[in-house]
Amino acid sequence: MQVTEAFKHAFLKQMLLGFQASAVSTKSMGFQERKNAIKLSADVAMAVARGSRKWTRGLIAGLSEERQNRSFLRLILGEQYESLLKPCHSSWKIPRCKKIVRRSLRVCWRKQKKNQSGVLARTLVEKRTQELKRLVPGGESMDGSSLLDETLDYVLSLRAQVDLMQSLLTTFEASKLRSHSKRRLPERKASYVSK
Amino acid sequence: MYIYKGPQKAIGRELSESVRREPSKIMQCLRAPPDDLSILERQGACLLNWQQQDQEQPNYNPRGRGYCRQMQTSFQGLPSGCGGDKNANHGYVHGSIDCFSNGWPDLANIRYPVPGAATVEEASITNVSSNSSRKRKADKSPRSKENGGGGKGESSCKRIKEETGGGATSETGQPNKKEAASGDASKKNDKPPKTDCIHVRARRGQATDSHSLAERVRRERISQRMKYLQDLVPGCSKITGKAGMLDEIINYVQSLQRQVEFLSMKLATASPLMNINIDNIFGREVQINPSCKSGSTAMTGMSSELLDQSCLRFDSLQHPHPCAGLDMFMDSSDLVLRQNVNPPVAVPDASFGSSFDVNGCSVWSTNLQSLYGVDFQQGRGAALPF
Repeated sequence: MQVTEAFKHAFLKQMLLGFQASAVSTKSMGFQERKNAIKLSADVAMAVARGSRKWTRGLIAGLSEERQNRSFLRLILGEQYESLLKPCHSSWKIPRCKKIVRRSLRVCWRKQKKNQSGVLARTLVEKRTQELKRLVPGGESMDGSSLLDETLDYVLSLRAQVDLMQSLLTTFEASKLRSHSKRRLPERKASYVSK
Repeated sequence: MYIYKGPQKAIGRELSESVRREPSKIMQCLRAPPDDLSILERQGACLLNWQQQDQEQPNYNPRGRGYCRQMQTSFQGLPSGCGGDKNANHGYVHGSIDCFSNGWPDLANIRYPVPGAATVEEASITNVSSNSSRKRKADKSPRSKENGGGGKGESSCKRIKEETGGGATSETGQPNKKEAASGDASKKNDKPPKTDCIHVRARRGQATDSHSLAERVRRERISQRMKYLQDLVPGCSKITGKAGMLDEIINYVQSLQRQVEFLSMKLATASPLMNINIDNIFGREVQINPSCKSGSTAMTGMSSELLDQSCLRFDSLQHPHPCAGLDMFMDSSDLVLRQNVNPPVAVPDASFGSSFDVNGCSVWSTNLQSLYGVDFQQGRGAALPF
């Protein structure tokens, strides 16, 4: 499974826009600051390129919790920024009807009487589900199957993000190499001419 | 034209009927914008585009992928005596598959890029034979509740009402198939009517109240998603439990996030050399956000700053630009974009091939590096006569 071409294009474009917006290439930035800016623009680019999904909204909501990111986010997202922030809260719980919850608990309890061995397995799974909810942005408000859906999507996008950043890196390094070799050429030329 | 024999008749007729019945849905699925499609549908659409078939069956293909894997796991439990049946079906299946006029035959040719999946032939055989058994109606039982699939762990069918038929010889080995008892009546070839709601049949010996049925539907949905995740996360094909799978998924997500951190660190060290002039890459049409007024003035201020600042000047023989070094990068990326818009003949094959590689290189790296290779050589070539 791979992401679409359109997503990759949008991602790359957004990332470069983000780099420009955060002025990453100015020399006045410290190393840590630059790294954070790069990561921020990469994450925002991923979210923007993907579109509107639970995890993207959760990601942007999480990013906007820090003050320093807010101006950047407002710049990139514009008016969508305000609308994105409103409905999705990571602490939003799924509203559940009490009667139904009680009834299903009763059914579960009856089953538990027969099947004690499943309890351990269930708690293990629950623990891991909680862990996964913490990892996937916006995951707290999802239930089991939609959590897996969002995880799938998120993993695909993360992979694309890693790919993109790796290829950017190799491109920069290649251009650096070439610049070095080209700088050496005029020296060689001079030595040749002098011969 | 068709080389039918026995069970394959059912498949062909039912498939062609369902294709005829749902063309609008199929087209709608494919025309929907990518954001609205779920992963399953998008995946199906991708597979279909890749095959370049006229007739599309997004209903089948995503589940077809799932079937291959499910059948692999369920058929592992079969006694070895059934191997003969599989081989016997081999010839028939291939013959009949090739003759189908719809998108179904491509399952025989699809190379699913799944590390743990069965081989293609095996998958197609198991796929077709399982479908044949599933599509046969067991008996004239009331159609209010029908199971989504006979095999354990199959997804509940939302669009096609499938009934469990136990009649196929290859399924007699499965202990859970209690419907096999009704195998005689299963050889009928009734059409599955088109429905939109979830129909679940209660299995023999299981509770029939709505709670357990709903739970079963939910469980099957979750297991289907777990299977997709199993394909995605490398090295998960052997793990069968939910807890172990979740463990692997968590580790994988954590490692990807750590990789992003690390790469951003590396880019930070490389970035003082960057002079990204977006205008050159994308042309003047690209704005960050025209509606954001304060932002745009800040933007123009920043971009002029970037232009003015002294960057590392790389001598370039082809591009007499002042800041030429990353003009290479920018031009190459421009070329990347242009190339992908009007791809030359060779590129789509490569990109499609790579895009269906689970751990394969991305389009960027192949494109950027190949372009860099070209650029580099050109630069060298021009510099040679000295």
